[in-house]
Amino acid sequence: MSLLHKYGLHKYGWIAWTSARSHVAYLGEVIARTLFLIVILYIFLQLWRVTYSETQAQQLGGFTLAQMLWYLCITESMAISAPRVAQEVDQDVRTGALAVQLIRPMSYPLYRLWSSLGERCVRFSLNFAVSAVLAFLFVGAIPISLTGLFLFLIVLPIAFILDFLMMFLIGLGAFWLEDTTGLVLIYSRLLWLLGGLLIPLELFPESWQPILRNLPFATIIYAPARLFVHPTWNDAIAILLRQGVTLLILAIGVQWVYRIAVQRIHANGG
Amino acid sequence: MEVKPMVIKAMSRLLNYLGLATAYIRLNWHAHLEYRGAFLSQLIAMLLNNLMWVAFWVLFFTRFPVLRGWTVQDVVTLWAIAAAGFGLAHAIYGNALQLATLITQGQLDVWMLYPRVLLPHLLLGRMNATSWGDLLFGYGVYLGFVHPDLVHFVWFVGLTTAIAALFVGFSVLTGSLSFYLGNASALSEQWRFAMLSFSTYPGTLFEGGIKLLLYTLIPAGFVAYLPIEALRSLSWIHAVWTIVGSIAVLGVGIGVFYHGLRRYESGNLMEMRG
Repeated sequence: MSLLHKYGLHKYGWIAWTSARSHVAYLGEVIARTLFLIVILYIFLQLWRVTYSETQAQQLGGFTLAQMLWYLCITESMAISAPRVAQEVDQDVRTGALAVQLIRPMSYPLYRLWSSLGERCVRFSLNFAVSAVLAFLFVGAIPISLTGLFLFLIVLPIAFILDFLMMFLIGLGAFWLEDTTGLVLIYSRLLWLLGGLLIPLELFPESWQPILRNLPFATIIYAPARLFVHPTWNDAIAILLRQGVTLLILAIGVQWVYRIAVQRIHANGG
Repeated sequence: MEVKPMVIKAMSRLLNYLGLATAYIRLNWHAHLEYRGAFLSQLIAMLLNNLMWVAFWVLFFTRFPVLRGWTVQDVVTLWAIAAAGFGLAHAIYGNALQLATLITQGQLDVWMLYPRVLLPHLLLGRMNATSWGDLLFGYGVYLGFVHPDLVHFVWFVGLTTAIAALFVGFSVLTGSLSFYLGNASALSEQWRFAMLSFSTYPGTLFEGGIKLLLYTLIPAGFVAYLPIEALRSLSWIHAVWTIVGSIAVLGVGIGVFYHGLRRYESGNLMEMRG
């Protein structure tokens, strides 16, 4: 604790806590999203139920039907719990609010990171709770071990941080671009398609799979969901290694771009 | 003897309305072009979004070539027809998507002052920029991916027009909930979302009670099944049912709007329209 105070890290914990608490207040929004989850999970259930039945397969890409639906329940919960980081950073840049943030005794990227983590933890937990109930009703439970849960809970926050770093980089684009909405959309759609949101990587053409596994998109969506339904230490170590490398590259990228971007700030007035 | 003047009167009214619609489309188009960059980026974003879904289906069908008799060509046709129908509906009648908010905020007042029939005039008031992306995508992907002959293309144009009418009716229906429930924007959006989701997956996936739902409360069956079957085999019966469904949804939407309008209370809102 004293180490946290020494380096001033305790304040970021408070930022995350405050953000989480403020989002617990918006339970109505989560309830409104329940219909979304019911519809989308039901459609996925039908799609895969028909696919399994037509191919007469017990497993596709190593997934049973129940595992497939639980996999999709994790990926959907992750996708719809994503905070609007890029849009918020974009707004801070355009409105000049970033200049105000800079005079505060804290790092702006770290402030945004912890605030987004607080929000995302709440939103993911609530969405996952709803979708888990639905998956249970649709296909029943799948075997989950304590080790599997432990591995999932290690990989998940790193995936959230990686997603944050990508979105933060896009948000910083507001220093140079007229509009970052297009970039946000392109990123989110690449994440959906190449990250395994709609279909696990095992079902992509075999020649694509090694490439997709090493892209940052897979470490954000596919990796945690895959570990949840198929937890093995070997996979977990490989995923953590990929996440570590991606984290390092993105963190250096964010620091570099942020340093250049901050030099472009011109504050006037008093 | 009396029928002829009535027909002439109806034709004259229709032509008058078409003139008004053309003027609104031109006006809204120019308004969007004032913010050319934002308009183009929204349009391209929607194109990319839809293309991502087509990429997903191409990948899916690469692995599983047939799904209950449907091939990738059928699913691409489904996306083309749903996107073109939705795009056509809201590129012209963009205010249909805003109806819940307009009612809640008492913004119908200003539209009631015009010497025009309220609903068809009000719907023209706004153009939805992303709908142009949908419209372009729908026709582009149908021509570029499915390569139809002239007959299929003519059927496609007819069916997308019917589906556009259905989407207008559905948006009016969901938006009109605000007359009864107060601020129904969130509910209206969720209902519309359910409709769009079911409209973009093969209709053959669903059966039993859900199928009944897809021809009543969430009329996605008229988008995701009937028109595709109509186009696959140039089946008149499926085409006629698509048109009947569209007219029914449009009729229900109009009926609910005017029924709800009796409950409408002015917002005493001061508003200027440029």
